[in-house]
Amino acid sequence: MITLTELKLAARLARRELRGGIRGFRIFLLCLALGVGAIAAVQSVAGGIQRSLVQDGRAILGGDASVRVLYREATADQRRWLESQGTVAVTADMRAMARKATDQPGANADPGKTDLGASGLVELKAVDGRYPLYGRLTLTDGGSDVQGRLAARDGVFGAFVDDTLATRLSLKTGDRLTVGDATVEVRGIIDHEPDKAGSGSIALGPRLMVAMDALPATGLVRPGSLVNWSYQLRLPEGTDAAAWAKTVDKTFPDAGWRVRDFTNAAPQLTRFIDRLAQFLTLVGLTALLVGGVGVGNAVRSHMDASVHSIATLKCLGSPARLIFQVYLLQILALAGLGIAAGLALGAVLPLAAGRALAGLLPITAEIGVYPGRLALAALFGLVTALVFSLWPLGQAQGVPAARLFREGSAGRRGRPPAWVLAALAWLAAALGSLAVLTSVDQKLAAFFVLGAGATLLLFLGAGTGITRLARLLPRPRRPALRLALTNLHRPGNLSGMVVLSLGLGLTVLVAVALIEGNFRREVGESLPANAPSFFFVDIQPDQLDQFRQTVLAVPGAHDLETTPSLRGTIVRVEGKPAQEQVHDPDKKWVVNGDRGVTYQAQAPAGDKVVAGAWWPADYSGPPELAISKDVAQAFGIGPGAHMTLSVLGREIEAEVAVVRDLDFTTLGINFTLVMSPGVLEHAPQTHLATVRAPAEDEAAIQRAVISAFPNITAIRVKEALATVSTIIVNIGMAVRVVAAVTLVAGTLVLAGAIAAGHRRRVYDAVVLKVLGAARVTILRTFLIEYGALGLVTAAIAGALGTLTAWAVLTKVMNMKWVFLPETLALTALLSTAITLALGLVATWRALSQPAAPLLREE
Amino acid sequence: MSLVQSALELNGLTLTLESAAGRVNILKGIDLSIQAGERISIVGPSGSGKSSLMMVIGGLERPTGGTVTVAGQTLNSLSEDHLARFRRDHVGIVFQSFHLMGAMTALENVALPMELAGEADAFERARDGLAAVGLAHRLDHYPGQLSGGEQQRVALARAFAPRPRLILADEPTGNLDHDTGEQIIRLMFDQARRHGTTLILVTHDPGLAARCDRTIRLADGRVVEDTAVARAAPGEQKGAD
Ligand SMILES: Nc1ncnc2c1ncn2[C@@H]1O[C@H](COP(=O)(O)OP(=O)(O)OP(=O)(O)O)[C@@H](O)[C@H]1O
Ligand SMILES: [Mg+2]
Repeated sequence: MITLTELKLAARLARRELRGGIRGFRIFLLCLALGVGAIAAVQSVAGGIQRSLVQDGRAILGGDASVRVLYREATADQRRWLESQGTVAVTADMRAMARKATDQPGANADPGKTDLGASGLVELKAVDGRYPLYGRLTLTDGGSDVQGRLAARDGVFGAFVDDTLATRLSLKTGDRLTVGDATVEVRGIIDHEPDKAGSGSIALGPRLMVAMDALPATGLVRPGSLVNWSYQLRLPEGTDAAAWAKTVDKTFPDAGWRVRDFTNAAPQLTRFIDRLAQFLTLVGLTALLVGGVGVGNAVRSHMDASVHSIATLKCLGSPARLIFQVYLLQILALAGLGIAAGLALGAVLPLAAGRALAGLLPITAEIGVYPGRLALAALFGLVTALVFSLWPLGQAQGVPAARLFREGSAGRRGRPPAWVLAALAWLAAALGSLAVLTSVDQKLAAFFVLGAGATLLLFLGAGTGITRLARLLPRPRRPALRLALTNLHRPGNLSGMVVLSLGLGLTVLVAVALIEGNFRREVGESLPANAPSFFFVDIQPDQLDQFRQTVLAVPGAHDLETTPSLRGTIVRVEGKPAQEQVHDPDKKWVVNGDRGVTYQAQAPAGDKVVAGAWWPADYSGPPELAISKDVAQAFGIGPGAHMTLSVLGREIEAEVAVVRDLDFTTLGINFTLVMSPGVLEHAPQTHLATVRAPAEDEAAIQRAVISAFPNITAIRVKEALATVSTIIVNIGMAVRVVAAVTLVAGTLVLAGAIAAGHRRRVYDAVVLKVLGAARVTILRTFLIEYGALGLVTAAIAGALGTLTAWAVLTKVMNMKWVFLPETLALTALLSTAITLALGLVATWRALSQPAAPLLREE
Repeated sequence: MSLVQSALELNGLTLTLESAAGRVNILKGIDLSIQAGERISIVGPSGSGKSSLMMVIGGLERPTGGTVTVAGQTLNSLSEDHLARFRRDHVGIVFQSFHLMGAMTALENVALPMELAGEADAFERARDGLAAVGLAHRLDHYPGQLSGGEQQRVALARAFAPRPRLILADEPTGNLDHDTGEQIIRLMFDQARRHGTTLILVTHDPGLAARCDRTIRLADGRVVEDTAVARAAPGEQKGAD
């Protein structure tokens, strides 16, 4: 039992021992502050976003609950039922093309030439008279009278545009736009749209908002058009919205409705933020682990410096337990200091980053102090500090008091006592569990924990390996080389330290660089060679022939492909409800909402069949299905299985004929569900089209299509990809910043280790200097030593980082993996060079000091 | 407590240590009996095992064979922490190189063993102890701010303040000049006499050895000579001031 008196005494002694100052703990403090700060910052921002998602849940959703349905408006019956439940506001959104009207003063006089600049893809949203039920839509001029401004004046409806659209089409209030067949007048620029984050899908274009009454005039709502209808409800006071949402599903199980309540207003965004926060937290934890190595070093050298005090205390009759307490208390106090600094950093940084964030997210993050989340960061810091301190602490209490009689006798460091080892194992397990239990994706977190542990051990082993190898190598003739080799393995060598502190950080950085590189490749700057230039959606069947002629009439347009497009949900598999038949939880998305469905007679060119075979070209039997590998995996089915699809309310049972491996990276038309001919031909449908064209002809194609078919939406692949890649670049930036913290921590640790081994090394160097060696010669020795260590470390880190990136991309993100040797080499070598250069600068400066004082001291 | 009670009994004491070069027999069978209040000097060539003997007596090193009994307690069977407590309660040690706690003031250094024993008046007694060695005015100075002689006086005060029965001093003047050393010795003898403390002193100085009651000569890990010194050595008279 530990008594209070004992603890008080330990605290008193600990305080006295710390009087010498905490200079030796600068690295310790910095490492902890950085790691804890990174985690705290990530957690604070995530906390801010989640808080506003919760607080503004009603505004984001647009109601206490909302019902969304694709394609079809609710039927009169359904509508009546909804009205009976509460106040209903209806919105419809879809993608469409908007054009600056040319018949107005100030518009461009040469319509043929600059049309592309004055037209573009928009996310059109039509709102009814009750919009918004919650929250306020504000305009940049301060106005918020939605209904008044959107109403028709002199036969022209009003419209709001967001800032991006205003800039892109150089619009100002009073300008006119055509969208579909309608002309609307800009009556305000949107400053804040309350339910923007609730819409769910990625916005490929800027917002254009009109009144619901203006929608028919556009002619855009036709059978099969991709319109999202949303019914936002204000429920009677006191209704449990979540419970209500569940009853709706039961009342209309087959309506194809997606029902949500305000407590989960933006599940995709929530999920995205959760996952990003988890990922960044894990990266931050790596920084903390790297920092932990520095913490361990600092504690070790502190304990080394305290050997004398410990032995003296023992001579004076202090039990080992008291000594352990004294030094543990010191470490705890210092850790507290470092953690506090980290928390302050983590709480303040988001304030600074808040502005930048505001532009990137559809909602405003409630930046603030989130005690729970800061506590998590602090706990991570504390446990890490303890894990890395316990070993040297445990060793120190075993320092024999007899040392005092034999000055300078090299005290062999023993193993810490068993209970310290047990505590260490327990704390390490606690750290791992904490990381796993606080994660949304526990499997990923568990892999991370195991991987991080293995990496740590691997680098520890590599350090020992290098030391052993250096000892076995024959002694070179050249003095510089010989000295370098000896430095690698002599007692008190830094080899293990350099490898460990540099290795972890480098591994993370390599992994992040490779993952990001793959992302960029996938979506960004380098378009797949055979990617189409345009996607056209909402082509009506009766427009198909004319559409073809119009597009192909433009010189340069080629490879026009069209496909019928319907939407359907998988309702049953082998006669049982599909939701219950999901085998692979990773593929659950196939039953969430509807999938694209098409029909075709033949396999497309280059189709990859995994199992089964396509129906013959002249097939006319009972319905058959071609499904993608994902669908097959989701249910664990193959050819011969029976699936029931619901397409526009009609249920069709079909037998799976073929399982296909779809390559989504080509950005061509891909349907996860393809029906055999003879089933869907007469269902309401639209067509999709893709076309390729040289970049210089893209403008002409868009112009031709827009002027002939106002209802057809043209999505320029390059622009869409640019939108997506901006998001990814921003995420990549966040990841890289946190990963960089890892390397900074690693550099600090390394600098600390070098500084610790420095005295001895500089003493050597000074002796060499006295013996007549030039500084350059001495520096060369260090360069060889650190260079060798750096290269070995970079090689291992490169391999491990590549492995990590491969695993994350292929196993976690299900993406295609491309090895990027230049990225790897550049990251690994550059970081190694920078880190080692810093170490050498320190040595050079030390070498420039006069030799005499050092010699006198020794 | 009778003056003739045995303060220290060593029976067939051996010490063998493992080293990189193999096993080294350092103490090769030592039998010794020391009375309470006796002042013993231990002499012998370098490497003969003097410091090792002190360590075994202080419970800092476990003997390989034989028994060590100090103040009626057999040390062989005590655990590490019991040994620590035993030192705290019964033994004061003075080293050649002082071994003060660098981060503590003179006063704190002297109070430390009594603090460890949980004594409430640790600081008062430490103050008295420092006054006794003439350092009443340096209470709040750190070891780094004291001269070698002053540091050794602090170490003396620290060893004597808890009133131990046994003082072990390993070449306490080895790092000091002659005059300062003389001052330390006088203080030490004076304190030992005043409290009836048993004193075991390792020294290379024959003059100093002559001022003790008894001289034990070690050579190669064995006692080769054990002589009582003629009374009325000058040290005693000088010590009585
Ligand atoms: N840890 C150890 N392992 C092995 N041998 C040791 C160890 N410590 C001391 N020795 C050896 O034991 C012998 C006795 O050492 P000790 O320090 O007791 O001698 P000493 O009489 O105090 O010498 P000095 O007068 O130089 O202080 C020496 O030969 C020494 O080399
Ligand atoms: Mg000695």
